[in-house]
Amino acid sequence: MNRLLQATFPFIGLISLWWLIVFIFDVPHFILPSPERVGWVLVERFPLIASHAITTALEIICGLILGASLGFGVACLIGDSKNLTQLTMPALVISQALPVFAIAPILMLWLGYGFASKLAMTTLIVFFPVTASTLAGFRAIPKSWELTFQTLRPKRAQLFWLIRLPLAIPYALSGVKVAASVAPIGAVVGEWVGSSSGLGYLMLHANGRGQTDLMFAALLVLCVEALVIWSLVNRLANRFDQNPQVIS
Amino acid sequence: MLTISNLNLSYPGYDPLATLSWQINAGDQIALLGRSGTGKSTLLAAIIEGAPEVTKQSERIAYLSQQPALLPWVTVIDNVLLGFKLRGTKHSSDLTQRAVDLLDQVDLGALAYRKTSLLSGGQKARVALARVLIEESDLVLLDEPFSGLDRSTRIQMAGLCQQLLAGKTVILVTHDPRDAQDWLDTAMVLTKDTIKGPYRLNEFGSDRALIQALDGDL
Repeated sequence: MNRLLQATFPFIGLISLWWLIVFIFDVPHFILPSPERVGWVLVERFPLIASHAITTALEIICGLILGASLGFGVACLIGDSKNLTQLTMPALVISQALPVFAIAPILMLWLGYGFASKLAMTTLIVFFPVTASTLAGFRAIPKSWELTFQTLRPKRAQLFWLIRLPLAIPYALSGVKVAASVAPIGAVVGEWVGSSSGLGYLMLHANGRGQTDLMFAALLVLCVEALVIWSLVNRLANRFDQNPQVIS
Repeated sequence: MLTISNLNLSYPGYDPLATLSWQINAGDQIALLGRSGTGKSTLLAAIIEGAPEVTKQSERIAYLSQQPALLPWVTVIDNVLLGFKLRGTKHSSDLTQRAVDLLDQVDLGALAYRKTSLLSGGQKARVALARVLIEESDLVLLDEPFSGLDRSTRIQMAGLCQQLLAGKTVILVTHDPRDAQDWLDTAMVLTKDTIKGPYRLNEFGSDRALIQALDGDL
C-alpha cells in the first residue's frame, strides 16, 4: 500500500498543480486544457488512442529488444579485445552523438514511413547505452582476478563463457535499464518525422487541428506507457541481477 | 626454479622503482616484505605474465590474492574445480573426490555443495587455498592472501599453508611480517631502490626493526 502511495503521489501532485494553474489563471482550453477535459477525451476517444498506443508500444518494445540484443552482441564481439574496442569505439560514439532528429529523415528515405523506420530509430537510441555498459562490464574484472584465471591456464572460449560474460551481465542489465528510459524518444521522434500511426503521429495530427485536449491525452498515455515499459524492464533486470545462477 | 634478471618494477608516470635481480631455488619458501607501492604485486604479475626478464622452470603457477577470485554463483566445489572447467577437462569421479578431500583438509568438506556467495571471508580464503592445492603447481604466489581476515582466521590460514604447501616453492607478499612469522623463516625486503635479504623473520620482532627493514636501513 505504501509503495502504491509512493508511486501515485507525484502523479496526483502533478495533476493537482495542473488543475490549479488552469483554474487560477483561467487558461483557455486550446492552450492548456483542464485535467477533467483531457480525462473526458481519454474516455471518449479511447479506441482511437488505444490503437495508436499499441503501435508506439510495439515500436518501443521491439526496438528495445533489437537494440539491446545488438548492443550486447557487439559488446561481446569486441569486448574480448582491447584493440578492437579502441578501433570501433569512435563509430559507436558517433552512433550516439548524432541527434536522432538528424538521422530520422534518412531512415524514412531508406526504410519508408512504416514500422521499420521507427524500429530502426528506437534500436539506434537503445544500442549505445547497452553496448557501453556491457563493455564496461568486460573491463571491470579486477587485475588480481585476471592473474588468478591466467594461472589456471584457461581456454579462451571457456574463460569468456564461464567468467567474463556472467561478470559483464549485471553491467549490461544496467545499460538495458537506461535504454528503457530513452527508447520512447526514438519511437516518437520517428513518428513525428513521418508516419500514419502511433502516439507521436496522433499528437501532431491533433495539434494541426487545434485539438489540444486530444494532444494532451496522447501525451499522458505516452507517459504511462513509457513508465510501464521502464518498470517492467527494471523488474526483469533486477530479477536476473539478484539471481546470478540464472546467468552462469 | 625462478630467475629474475634486471626486472624494472617502475610504472610509467609514477616514481621510479627498483630494478631487481633475484634467484629463488626449488622448495624455497620466502616472505617478500615491503611498503605499499614498492612493486611487490607488480613483481608477481611479471612472474605470472611471463615477462622476458623472468625465467622459470615450470609453467604451473598458482596465485592466491586478497580477493580470492571465486565465482559467487557456483558451488564451493565448482570453484575448487574451476581450473579444470576453464581448461575444458572433463571431471572424473576421482577428481571430484580429490576436491572433496581437499575441502575436508581446509575444514570445508561439509560445505562442498553450498553456493559460494553464502560463505564468510575466511571460508572463501580456504576455498581459494583448496583450489591452489588441486592445481598441484610447483610455484605458489601469495599476494597478501590474509588481508581483510581477522587475526584468528589469519593464524588458521597460516597453519593450513604451512601444512598443505610443504615442499612447494612459495613467495608470500605481505606488508605484515606476522602473516609470515607463523609459518615461514626467511624474508626478503623490497624497497623503492632494491631488494635486500635474506633475513630471518624473527629479526622483525619489534616494530622498530620492521620499519628499519622496510626503509632499507636494516
